[in-house]
Amino acid sequence: MADTTLQVHSILLTAMTIALVYSVRFFRARRQRRRPQRRITSFESLPIWIGQAVESNRPLHLSLGGAAIGESSAVTALASAEFFYHLSLAVRSADVMPIISTSSTASIPLGQDTLRRARQSGQQAAPVHWHPQGERSLAYAAAVTSLLEAEDPAAHVLAGSFGSELALILENAHDRQQATLAVSDQLEGQAAAYALADEVLIGEELFAAAGYVAQDAAAQADAAVMDVWRILLILGLSLALLINGTQQLSITARALVLLAVLAGFIIGFLVYLRRR
Amino acid sequence: MNRRQRLGVALPAFIAFAVGLLTLFSLLMGGNPELYGFMEQPAVTAELVALPAAALVRLTALAIAFTVLIGLANLLYVHLERLARRRFYSLILLLSFAATMGWYMVSRGDTALLEAVQVPIESSLAALLFLSLMRGGATALKRRRDGWGFLFAAVMLTVLLATLPLAELAPLRPWREWLMTVPVSAGARAMLIGIALATVTAGLRALLGQDRSYRG
Repeated sequence: MADTTLQVHSILLTAMTIALVYSVRFFRARRQRRRPQRRITSFESLPIWIGQAVESNRPLHLSLGGAAIGESSAVTALASAEFFYHLSLAVRSADVMPIISTSSTASIPLGQDTLRRARQSGQQAAPVHWHPQGERSLAYAAAVTSLLEAEDPAAHVLAGSFGSELALILENAHDRQQATLAVSDQLEGQAAAYALADEVLIGEELFAAAGYVAQDAAAQADAAVMDVWRILLILGLSLALLINGTQQLSITARALVLLAVLAGFIIGFLVYLRRR
Repeated sequence: MNRRQRLGVALPAFIAFAVGLLTLFSLLMGGNPELYGFMEQPAVTAELVALPAAALVRLTALAIAFTVLIGLANLLYVHLERLARRRFYSLILLLSFAATMGWYMVSRGDTALLEAVQVPIESSLAALLFLSLMRGGATALKRRRDGWGFLFAAVMLTVLLATLPLAELAPLRPWREWLMTVPVSAGARAMLIGIALATVTAGLRALLGQDRSYRG
């Protein structure tokens, strides 16, 4: 694709996203009865863990992994920090603040700022724990496992950029009967999370997390925009596949395929309505 | 909230919004003279438009370089605080830190001490990671006793067995190839596309100063 075409597409995508974000926010603010968000079961355990942390006076451990400002995982770091902010707000009535750990030095100020904003006046924010070094850090995983023993967290929310070293942390937490929620923007980390975590988020669900944890209309609207984009993408890909496939068929077969697709869409829509 | 506090909240949000918008505009519109064909000097205009983003990105790289110092200070602070709470493992870390730094300075840049300790330990951890992943597979099957859990275990076993250099397992190799190139690759792409779409929305929120961190 030529540079100019690519640039024009990027401009269109950005402009459409900005328009969608603001229009969804506007319509959600005007609507009297809020439409419920798409159900993500992994978030349903969080209030229980928060309650347990407050009652047992044990901290939550929140980890950004290697997600770092200034690198390709910068947006992951920002989304995780927003998620952690809402979790920290939920546990701020406890005596102990959550522990944030990271393996990136650039994320230390971000984590510290998250804790600072969430603390109550007069409450001391714990320092962010930095364990070297960067992405896929085994040293970081080893250091975090020592933290599990020393601080005895009530639960772990590992949301950020992790490789397969995530398995070490999750296995250790499982042995200590500490609950875990994990998600990574790297495929290796995501696979380890699926296999070993008590609750797992898949890829982009991390970016919608703030909208699920908090009653924040703007964050919920942003989560809705991501769903809109995903639906548009699925429709676009299906349509392209269909057009490509039907070009090789006879007219009767094309009509049959179109009928089957139409029936598929109607059934899908009915299932969606029933689930809501 | 008094007027001063309101200003304290509004000012960072305004600066973030202005800088974000400028960077976004500069990244999207800069560097391509074809977009400015209607102007007298398209190449110069394209370069001028790209300049703010380039300057700000370079500034960010400089700022990030300084965070290594923040990291060191944080490491020392956290472990001194833990030592005060009688966590003696932190003493080992602090002594190791002092020894490594001291050796580095005395021997003028020799990292032998770091390599002699860290490399074997990381290699051992990598071996341990393999066991953790294997155990993870078994745990997944135990925890998720549904169709998806069974599918996960079946795929994992097929891929692992087909990797072994045994003639008896040769019939599994085409299956492994198909699994890796079709469903695994499709799933991975779907996940990455999802992350990319979410990144656009979340990134724009940050660039337009909508992120809560800018609001104090």
